[in-house]
Amino acid sequence: MVLIFPLLIPLLGAFTVLLCKSPRVAVRVALGVGALEMIAIGNAVVRVYTTGALQAGEYLRADSLTAFFLINIGLIFALVLVYSVGYLRHIPEGRFSSPRWFYGLVFLFLFTMIAVYLSANLGLLWISVEATTLASAFLVGFYNTKGAVEAGWKYLIVCTVGIAFALFGTITFYLAAVRCGIPQDTALNWTVLMNAAPRLAAAPQLLKLAFVFIVVGYGTKIGFVPMHSWLPDAHAEAPSPISALLSAVLLNCAMYAVLRFDAITARALGPGFSHHLLLIFGGLSITVAAFLMIVQRDLKRLLAYSSIEHMGIVALGVGIGGPLGLFGALLHAFNHSLAKTMLFFTTGDVRENYGTLRMDRIRGMARTLPWTSGAMIAGGLAIVGMPPFGLFVSEFIILTAAFTQGSYLIAALILVALSVAFGAMLFHFQHMLGGESHTTRVRPKAFLTDLAPTAVCVACLLVLGLRIPPVFTNLLHSAMAVLQ
Amino acid sequence: MGLVDIAAAKTLASSAVFIFITLLLLASAKRTRTCIVLFSMQGAVVTAQILATAYVHRSAEAYAIAFLVLVIKVLAIPYLLLRIVDRLNMPREVKASTTSAQSVFITAALILLSFLVVQPYVRAFNIDEDMLAAAIALVLTGCFLMVSRKKALMQVIGLLVLENGVFLAALTSTFGMPLVIEIGIFFDLLMGVFLMGLFVFRIRDTFDHLDVSKLRRLRG
Repeated sequence: MVLIFPLLIPLLGAFTVLLCKSPRVAVRVALGVGALEMIAIGNAVVRVYTTGALQAGEYLRADSLTAFFLINIGLIFALVLVYSVGYLRHIPEGRFSSPRWFYGLVFLFLFTMIAVYLSANLGLLWISVEATTLASAFLVGFYNTKGAVEAGWKYLIVCTVGIAFALFGTITFYLAAVRCGIPQDTALNWTVLMNAAPRLAAAPQLLKLAFVFIVVGYGTKIGFVPMHSWLPDAHAEAPSPISALLSAVLLNCAMYAVLRFDAITARALGPGFSHHLLLIFGGLSITVAAFLMIVQRDLKRLLAYSSIEHMGIVALGVGIGGPLGLFGALLHAFNHSLAKTMLFFTTGDVRENYGTLRMDRIRGMARTLPWTSGAMIAGGLAIVGMPPFGLFVSEFIILTAAFTQGSYLIAALILVALSVAFGAMLFHFQHMLGGESHTTRVRPKAFLTDLAPTAVCVACLLVLGLRIPPVFTNLLHSAMAVLQ
Repeated sequence: MGLVDIAAAKTLASSAVFIFITLLLLASAKRTRTCIVLFSMQGAVVTAQILATAYVHRSAEAYAIAFLVLVIKVLAIPYLLLRIVDRLNMPREVKASTTSAQSVFITAALILLSFLVVQPYVRAFNIDEDMLAAAIALVLTGCFLMVSRKKALMQVIGLLVLENGVFLAALTSTFGMPLVIEIGIFFDLLMGVFLMGLFVFRIRDTFDHLDVSKLRRLRG
């Protein structure tokens, strides 16, 4: 039952919210459902932390890795719900673009992402990842403008094709397992496969073929270059809370799927093959994304490319491997989600006050929007990896891993990409913050629902940057143990 | 050898050829409606193939999967797509960036290519060569249709053809995945087509055309 509730609450919540005709009631119901969901997730995480992996039936399972990512999704989702209260005031009541549709779709989206984390079966994992695309496509196209519809269509088509390749990879994985003598009805069960991994070494060709398709398929969703074309469009055109969810939770979800496959492949064939593949995609992603950040004109596209860059760093951390590399990668995924959520939240305020997100038209933010600017500076410093924020620590750990393993080329690549990204962020942000503003302020004061989530993000990033709580370190270590 | 055994053996032996025929016809088709009907026929060939496999291997699960394919791929999805075409009330040509002759030629080349790439796996794993090649050809042709056709609906059909290929590959190499998982995949597919249909209407309403090659506001 512990694992059923986190799935059931958002699913029922989605339909309950859709029944609420009045926007105010819908917001309250959504917050109530959200609170219940946080309790359910918290309960599951505590149970896993204290008693070890939980299994519910044949298809649901939660181990420490699941628990770690559940904390990530629970925290970010709670922040998004609170932020949306203030954000939704400027959404007019339309046919499919009212608060109740927003919350209904968001809860469906949450349901599918929780299902990804709780899947014990690789087939169910695929179904859930595909369902995340379907649930979020309308959220990306929520504004119904030309750009939003185009971005939604592109997102739907590109990700569905990518995910179809992942299905092909999953099937090949299944074939390899069956050929190696694992019974058909358990040959997609992750725990069974992980335990039987040494036996899978009997079919190295099939396993390698499968992993290539898995990385390309799920990599499309992570936003690995060159399959990233949907990502900047979707992040830029979606409403700001949705951009935060896409960047901070959905990308991690897809990364989680790759981690699960990587663990089996690495155990069966040794880390050489799968980790090298991740190094290639990660290296390509950080390099291309960092340079493309320089030429961006739209603030949210800039942040989207930064997401590609950071997912590349996570992939490099996993690819470098060893306890240190994996620790850094998981920590970095968590840190990135906090910093990026915060930055996407500030873009909502910017759009409302300037009516645009074109960075060349935004000047003098520091004077007109002091609170938002403060948040943006803090978020900007965090995302480029400045101390005392958490991303500094995780990037430093990944770099240390690279140096201790002697992969100097990778280390150099990371350093170059980080410097370019740093320069690009600094250049764009100082242009927006400085100078004289042309617009008068639309809103008299910043809302509590805008500032509180940002404050939480800053606090978490500071804690993770200065002294990681021992509980969190323990959880991370047991999450790594799951994968090794 | 009973009549059913002969029919099953003949179906298994010849279904790959029928799939190739549907692929070549899809490449040459000029109207969206024709493509939808061809997709439905392709689904029918796949259904026959699964039925034959089910009969030969005496597998109850495979009968259930055949039923699912019949309902979803032969009837439900084509019906849904035809309804969309009717209600869209827009010009119905597929608007290809290659001529019919070129498309057929490219598809034929892709079929040849798929026979080449499956060779090592056929020998190593004792899988039916024609069917695996047909599966790969479906994937490749699906991709080709998606990039060469400009209409939004044709991209959906390309995607479905591609998915048919993945499905057929699963069927020929492993006799399909566990039934629960297959049902989930079909449900996702149906929802996907439904959502894409809704998006097609949105594209028409916001852009007044369905030519996705003209959707290029977002760049860089």
